[in-house]
Amino acid sequence: MMRNAARKIYIFLIFIFLYAPIIALIVLSFNASRTRAKWGGFTLKWYGELFQNKVILQALWNTLAIALLSALIATVIGTIACISMQGMKRRNRTILMGITNIPMLNAEIVTGISLMLLFISLGIKFGFMTILLAHITFNIPYVILSVMPRMKQLNPSTYEAALDLGASHMQAFFKVVFPDILPGILSGSLMAFTMSLDDFIITHFTKGPGIDTLSTKIYTEVKKGIKPEMYALSSLIFITVLILLILVNCTPKTEPKKEITERSKNSSKKWIAAVVCVILCIVAVFGFSTFKSNQSNEVYVFNWGEYIDPEVLVMFEEETGIKVIYDEYETNEIMYPKVEAGTSAYDVICPSDYMIQKMIENDLLQELDFDNMPNAVANIGAQYYEQSAAFDPGNKYCVPYCWGTVGILYNKTMVEEPVDSWSILWDEKYANNILMQDSVRDAFMVGLKLNGFSMNTLNENELQIAKEALIKQKPLVQAYVVDQVRDKMIGGEAALGVIYSGEAIYTQQENADLEYVIPKEGTNVWIDGWVVPKNAPNKKNAEIFIDYMCREDIALMNFEYITYSTPNEAARALIEDEEIRNSSIAFPDLSQYQNLETFNYLGEDGDELYNSLWKEAMSY
Amino acid sequence: MNKKMLSAPFLFWSALFIIIPLCMVFYYGLTDKNGAFTLENVMAIATPEHSKALWEALKLSVISTIICLLLAYPLAMILCNLNVNQNSFIIMIFVLPMWMNFLLRTLAWQTLLEKTGVINSVLGFFHLPTLNIINTPSAIVLGMVYNFLPFMVLPLYNVLVKIDRNVINAARDLGANELQTFMKIIFPLSLPGMFSGITMVFVPALTTFVISKMLGGSKILLIGNIIEQEFTQTGNWNLGSGLSIVLMLFIIFNMVISTVTDKDGEVNAL
Amino acid sequence: MKNALVNLVNITKSFGDQMILDDLNLYIRENEFLTLLGPSGCGKTTTLRILGGFETPDKGQVIFDGKDITNLPPNKRNLNTVFQKYALFTHMTIAENIAFGLKIKNKSKTYIDDKIKYALKLVNLDGYENRMPDSLSGGQQQRIAIARAIVNEPKLLLLDEPLGALDLKLRQDMQYELIRLKNELGITFIYVTHDQEEALTMSDTIVVMNQGYIQQIGTPENIYNEPENAFVADFIGDSNIIGATMIQDRLVEILGARFACVDEGFGTNKPVDVVIRPEDVELVAPEEGTIQGTVTHLIFKGVHYEMEVEANGYEWLVQSTRMCPVGTHVGIKVDPFNIQIMNKPESEDEEAVGVNE
Repeated sequence: MMRNAARKIYIFLIFIFLYAPIIALIVLSFNASRTRAKWGGFTLKWYGELFQNKVILQALWNTLAIALLSALIATVIGTIACISMQGMKRRNRTILMGITNIPMLNAEIVTGISLMLLFISLGIKFGFMTILLAHITFNIPYVILSVMPRMKQLNPSTYEAALDLGASHMQAFFKVVFPDILPGILSGSLMAFTMSLDDFIITHFTKGPGIDTLSTKIYTEVKKGIKPEMYALSSLIFITVLILLILVNCTPKTEPKKEITERSKNSSKKWIAAVVCVILCIVAVFGFSTFKSNQSNEVYVFNWGEYIDPEVLVMFEEETGIKVIYDEYETNEIMYPKVEAGTSAYDVICPSDYMIQKMIENDLLQELDFDNMPNAVANIGAQYYEQSAAFDPGNKYCVPYCWGTVGILYNKTMVEEPVDSWSILWDEKYANNILMQDSVRDAFMVGLKLNGFSMNTLNENELQIAKEALIKQKPLVQAYVVDQVRDKMIGGEAALGVIYSGEAIYTQQENADLEYVIPKEGTNVWIDGWVVPKNAPNKKNAEIFIDYMCREDIALMNFEYITYSTPNEAARALIEDEEIRNSSIAFPDLSQYQNLETFNYLGEDGDELYNSLWKEAMSY
Repeated sequence: MNKKMLSAPFLFWSALFIIIPLCMVFYYGLTDKNGAFTLENVMAIATPEHSKALWEALKLSVISTIICLLLAYPLAMILCNLNVNQNSFIIMIFVLPMWMNFLLRTLAWQTLLEKTGVINSVLGFFHLPTLNIINTPSAIVLGMVYNFLPFMVLPLYNVLVKIDRNVINAARDLGANELQTFMKIIFPLSLPGMFSGITMVFVPALTTFVISKMLGGSKILLIGNIIEQEFTQTGNWNLGSGLSIVLMLFIIFNMVISTVTDKDGEVNAL
Repeated sequence: MKNALVNLVNITKSFGDQMILDDLNLYIRENEFLTLLGPSGCGKTTTLRILGGFETPDKGQVIFDGKDITNLPPNKRNLNTVFQKYALFTHMTIAENIAFGLKIKNKSKTYIDDKIKYALKLVNLDGYENRMPDSLSGGQQQRIAIARAIVNEPKLLLLDEPLGALDLKLRQDMQYELIRLKNELGITFIYVTHDQEEALTMSDTIVVMNQGYIQQIGTPENIYNEPENAFVADFIGDSNIIGATMIQDRLVEILGARFACVDEGFGTNKPVDVVIRPEDVELVAPEEGTIQGTVTHLIFKGVHYEMEVEANGYEWLVQSTRMCPVGTHVGIKVDPFNIQIMNKPESEDEEAVGVNE
């Protein structure tokens, strides 16, 4: 009895372990607060908003379509392969099985990379197709490995018996062999479907602009804080599958007793059939409601994550009739290779200062025609064009979109002394309470400024000193993150964090204990601007889009949504809340601060130097 | 019907999407930016930052694999003894979490483990010491164990459930006590499933970059993170490919073991 | 009862709400070859598993060699089992398989080696030490399974349908082999089978079981010639089981004709069942027979002819060395000693009730 109890407790604990995160996610889907760090009361609104959120529904549609198609095609190819392997010589069969095993045993990252290299060299445009091909490839083994054992159990005489009774080869296969291996085929395709649904890494490497599966969408959102609608969607999917599972497993009990094997075979068949039905329904409902294809008139936008009010995109489409294909990135460094490789053709991108400089120098951008963009001329403050001339001489390539500073966000309840210097990030009192930026230039900016160096230095000594400083700081750092500083600071996870000024306003709204300062050693003043790459297929639309973003009401909407300082003077004048309009965080008087700098592009060698030092610091 | 013709689609597919891409990884890994042959990218593994990342990845993945094995073995044995007729039901229980996205599941652990997270709130309520493992190697190991445990349980369950009850009875009948029966009969017979499980946990754990990023706070760079960065951020594909080749050596090693122990490739089937 | 090696007392066992054994009592003498015979689901295998220690009875006791072993785990029992489908350890060589039990008991290496040799010789497989079980035929694997059990020198060997998976010829060979082994080793065998021919060939004692109850215990001759009820009669060999009326002692009316018999004590004008074995039905000239009929089927079976005779509305099964072509008008005669009278069960349940009490 003791032993039985121990067993039950053990299984129970494992189940808690497996399902605790899932329960946590389901709970979060009812959280009224937008941030994961705070419980804002019970709400069902995310479930409502989910069905309004075109971006998520599109990602769901993509995910299901890819999972379904790849599972289907992989099942056909895999099953045919199994049949052919039956008649093969042992040696050939072993070789084929070996090949089959490669995607199973190989690291997903290597599979993803190898496929990416293949598609690039074949010049296939990254998009739905490339993801689908990749998914089929890693799904085939699951089908083969689940059909093969069934195939081996098959009595070869049954096929011959069917022939003997007058069936053709085709008939013999479909009437005799096929029903026998069907359970294997079904479970194989279900497995393939699940794996495809859950895959992130391979999709990450093979996806193109404007297409997101749920996985890649979530990955982009993780940096910024997951949209609660995503929790709602995942909860819905999970609960649906769970209910199906329970239904399917409960029904056989009411039936009269049958042979055990037959029962389980039946139920798994039913189970799979039920799943397929539901998926088809979802695909049908969402697919047709969201997938309105309008190929001729579109604009491909590549922007930072959460860097626009989604409502603006809807309005833009309605007013101009141009369809927006919208894609997001987390850092300049992630964006750059995608544009450089040329497999992804975007019309509008929103890089930062130094990256714009790099792209200009590497001849990746084309000049803008300001005559087509009256708002950009009229509404953007002159001082911002002056600033951007530092990296865009003559203001030919870029229209400023957002700007800001980088500073320290701290929690007044956790930090006692006044914060005015980067050096507080080296104070051992705050060990494990410090959040640093997880990107090369931002992290080195802190290290360099601390020691009084320029953040654009190429002096190796200075960089070594900065690197040593970062290494020394590492044990004190709780985590290196990008936009998650926001959620973590709101939740009181850390005392100090390096953050962009635009995030500071939002965090203060959520948690009044937080305060933002620009350290006395100086910091980075940055500008993100709209640019149009050389290979943009729709330059006209790109300019219409940029101009639209510069319209004062639109710029105001964006400011209120993303809370990053806008260079749009007309929009600023429209801000109702005086406190924000004159906020020293959102619109600081830069003349008060010393040693402010903007990032420069340092050339390929400079980049490599920074990268290798960063790698050394991080792997120390 | 000519059976040889039937293998054509699969052969074509494997060649185009498995073999050729791998060759391309080798091509990039063994050349420099100008396309000249070099071993530099592969030898780059010896530099301190790369070897450290590889060592960290090896360390954490081995620990995770061992923990998975220790957790999964008793679990698989208990599940076998449950006499649940519905094999598919047990499998579904472990596959079910996969319908909740992998990234979200991992992110949820962040919510649970954070300093002010759910687990610590509960511990705090009972005045128990708090758990501070977020952004440490322990959290990465936890994430690995969590995500890959099903890949250890299912192959183990599949071999254990196939062991004839009478073989175990025979051992008991011949005088072996429960421990002896386990050591001499059940354990050796479960080896193929165990190797398969080890491969299926070790390889993804060794090469992950997501878990270390999400639960390790990017403080610990694993070899997967380095390769991912080389491809998506630094843009040095040659170096990334070179390091992938090193990674593949471990995987080939694993493949050899699993083909030797699992002739039919049956236990791999989930 | 005095020299009983095993004694099963009031054994009851059910799985869920399904009663498998109901108050079963049985003793087995030392050096006996006892067979549990019955259709699948009759409880014979459960009885064996209770003896082996793989099941614990809900009620009752298992006395082995004078000691109560009801709750003793299998590894502590001085008896061994030969399993259905052999249950060899596929990851061990033949020698390792055979040595398994001895190694557990920490026997010396030379002792073990000697035993392996001896056991392999006994089962006619010398030289197979280093083969793997997978490379052996079914019959060979079966003999290894027996060798593996007997090297432990058990007092009692349990065999669970050991020949079920073998083909006919091999099965017959193995039957002789088993008898030889039992005689050489001088240990007690309990043998489970659903094959009545196997049971008749090998056993000293047969226990016929059905639905968890013992139907009859007896020597093979006894069981065959004097089945105690219709179930036993039907299960053992071919037979004509006919509803009849016991007119008085030593006179029974079958299908309207009166036959002399030797049974007494059934009362007068009582409905009974009679069993007449096909080889006991004599075909004679019509006028000599007690009843008359016509041959409807005829098959040559080697040692005899098998015929069906339609007489008074019943298809009589008849085995005879004398052939009567289809259509022949014949008379049927039965020696009084060959008419076996049984009580007619009044309900299905009663049919299954134990008769050993």
